[in-house]
Amino acid sequence: MTTDSGTLAPTRPGVAWIGRARRRSIVLAGSGLLALVAVVCIGVAMGSVAIAPLDTLAIVTHRLFGIDLGRTWSASAETIVWDLRVPRVLTSLVVGTALAVAGATFQGLLRNPLADPYVLGTASGAALGAAIAVLLPVRIVILGFGLLQGLAFLGALASIYAVYRLSRIGGLSPLTSLLLTGYAVGSLLAAGLAMAMYLSGAALRQIFSYLMGGFDAASWPQLAGTLPLVAVGCALILMRARSLNGLLLGEETAAHLGIDVGRERAILLALASLVTAAAVAVSGLIGFVGLVVPHVVRLVVGPNARLVLPLSALVGAVLLAFADVIARSAGEIPVGIVTALIGAPFFIVLLRRARTGYEL
Amino acid sequence: MFRSLRSPRSAPPPGWLLSLVLAILFVVAACTGGGTAISSVAPATTAAGPAASVASTATPAPTASPAFPATLTDDEGTAVTIAGEPHTIVSLAPATTETLFALGVGDRIKGKAQDVFLYPPQAGSVPDVATYDSVDVEKIVALAPDVVFAGGNFLTPPDAIAKLRSLGLTVVVLYAPSVDAVYRDIELTGEVAGRSAQASAMVDRIRAEFESVRAAVAGLPTPRVFYELDATGAIYGPADKSFLAEMIRLAGGTPITTGSADKYDISVERLIEQDPEVILMADAPFGVTAEQVAARPGWKVMTAVKNGQIRPIDDQTVTRPGPRLFLGLALLARTIHPDATVPSAAPIPPVP
Repeated sequence: MTTDSGTLAPTRPGVAWIGRARRRSIVLAGSGLLALVAVVCIGVAMGSVAIAPLDTLAIVTHRLFGIDLGRTWSASAETIVWDLRVPRVLTSLVVGTALAVAGATFQGLLRNPLADPYVLGTASGAALGAAIAVLLPVRIVILGFGLLQGLAFLGALASIYAVYRLSRIGGLSPLTSLLLTGYAVGSLLAAGLAMAMYLSGAALRQIFSYLMGGFDAASWPQLAGTLPLVAVGCALILMRARSLNGLLLGEETAAHLGIDVGRERAILLALASLVTAAAVAVSGLIGFVGLVVPHVVRLVVGPNARLVLPLSALVGAVLLAFADVIARSAGEIPVGIVTALIGAPFFIVLLRRARTGYEL
Repeated sequence: MFRSLRSPRSAPPPGWLLSLVLAILFVVAACTGGGTAISSVAPATTAAGPAASVASTATPAPTASPAFPATLTDDEGTAVTIAGEPHTIVSLAPATTETLFALGVGDRIKGKAQDVFLYPPQAGSVPDVATYDSVDVEKIVALAPDVVFAGGNFLTPPDAIAKLRSLGLTVVVLYAPSVDAVYRDIELTGEVAGRSAQASAMVDRIRAEFESVRAAVAGLPTPRVFYELDATGAIYGPADKSFLAEMIRLAGGTPITTGSADKYDISVERLIEQDPEVILMADAPFGVTAEQVAARPGWKVMTAVKNGQIRPIDDQTVTRPGPRLFLGLALLARTIHPDATVPSAAPIPPVP
């Protein structure tokens, strides 16, 4: 899109691509925001109990701005809209954002298109923590968080910490070592999870429902606990988009660009894991979003992390909120099934239509 | 107590944040001497948590009969306060639905858990608000029930129970691991529903019927009975300390159990070693036949298979911990001892 000539000639295709990426990202961001508004409206208006849209609107404006629209509604309608639906929709947005940003970060860090937020054992760690919480005969609830959320969060963080520490010993290159250690630790934890499930008896269903993921348990206190972690984590990752771009070029090139590779990698790994742990603690294991959303965004706007990270956040939030709306209207089926059922065919179509040479 | 949800709680603050804000408000109110500010804040503290419905301290209720408000302890040890006689009830366990109908308050059930066997038939007109594995919290909230009965031991998902309580609903969790616990649950259900006298009478009736079955099988040999719950993959039968094992003993049989206090799977080797004399197929409704059981590898050495003592049984009647329990015991006794004369009793009729 440049009109310069002469000296810039060899770089012209690249510059054109950057211009196109910018336009495409504006289109994607605009349609994403529209979809966001739409999904919030649908998610709050829709449910197993029919509430008149005007009542819903009146309840939300009353609660948000204290404005009275001159309508009356029942106490149960208010509870349904304000204490069940609104926190649920918002939680699905927050978790979608977290998984998509974490996925984009892990893919960039590990330079592996198959990486997702769970690749380094976080999922198995969280699931094992949740299973142990279900099996323990204690029920503590602090600020709306039960033992399950607490142990899932700690399990995810503990497993990634173990993977990181273990991977630093030995002679393999850091990336290969991280991936393989993550796989090994994940397998070990998965065996522990299988054992816990085998021993769980009647509690099996509760563990299973955590593994499938969902937003039934969403509430204001849980949202208030998750949102700050995800927001701060994602913001800090966004501020390191330059490092992520550098790391994508390979360690040597990144080092030549003045990036402290080891330090940046550790920081990004920690942030992405924190965001993932906060998400899986409240939602259970929801697959696919973290793997595919960053790819979809890259197919549209190219590999620049400055664009990929914020757009992944938006697309991930919208996709997961839509998936949850569909899951709810189909009678509370697990949301992970919906994301995969809708997302996988869409992703295949997008891959087949991709004209440019796609690279991570 | 449910109305209190409408009191100011506009933002989604975590508890500590709310307490902090309240503390600041109190300080501000105290400094400005505005007594009205304190009184307008006070209700918000009670609305902030489930404390409105679940009492934190278990004060024993006065034993005098029309005892509302009453504080009761449910089967999970939670102290639950019933403010007044409930007129809108949600039942998330089929057995409790049966008990409520038999106690004469079936018409107050406005929502129930789906029951594939649908008993009593009158419950058919009550809308389902839960299935085997999910609870529709929205629908329950819309009914604004005075009390919700839930099943313990993960029958009702614990998350759903916590959610309902956090929304200010009164939830009573029932779980009966033994015959005595079934009696207790019927009495507890009666107390909650304001039908204590009827519940006691019902328990007396069930006890009497149990006694007549016991008398009918007394002195008969007690064959080793394997009650097969499922054998599509692993083989499942009663655990050592299960309700089912107790029922088989009361019906004049020696239960073959899994050898574990709470696990329900049993190996073929253990089963062969224990050598059942009677095999009861609770999985018969799912197409399992005596021929199939006899043809399973290794099963032909069992006494029950050699003698053809493999019989189907209606599992739902035997295991549902409600007012039909004595029918289940009589059925079990009759199936274990086909030649004995076990008295047949009329069921406790559900009151429409």
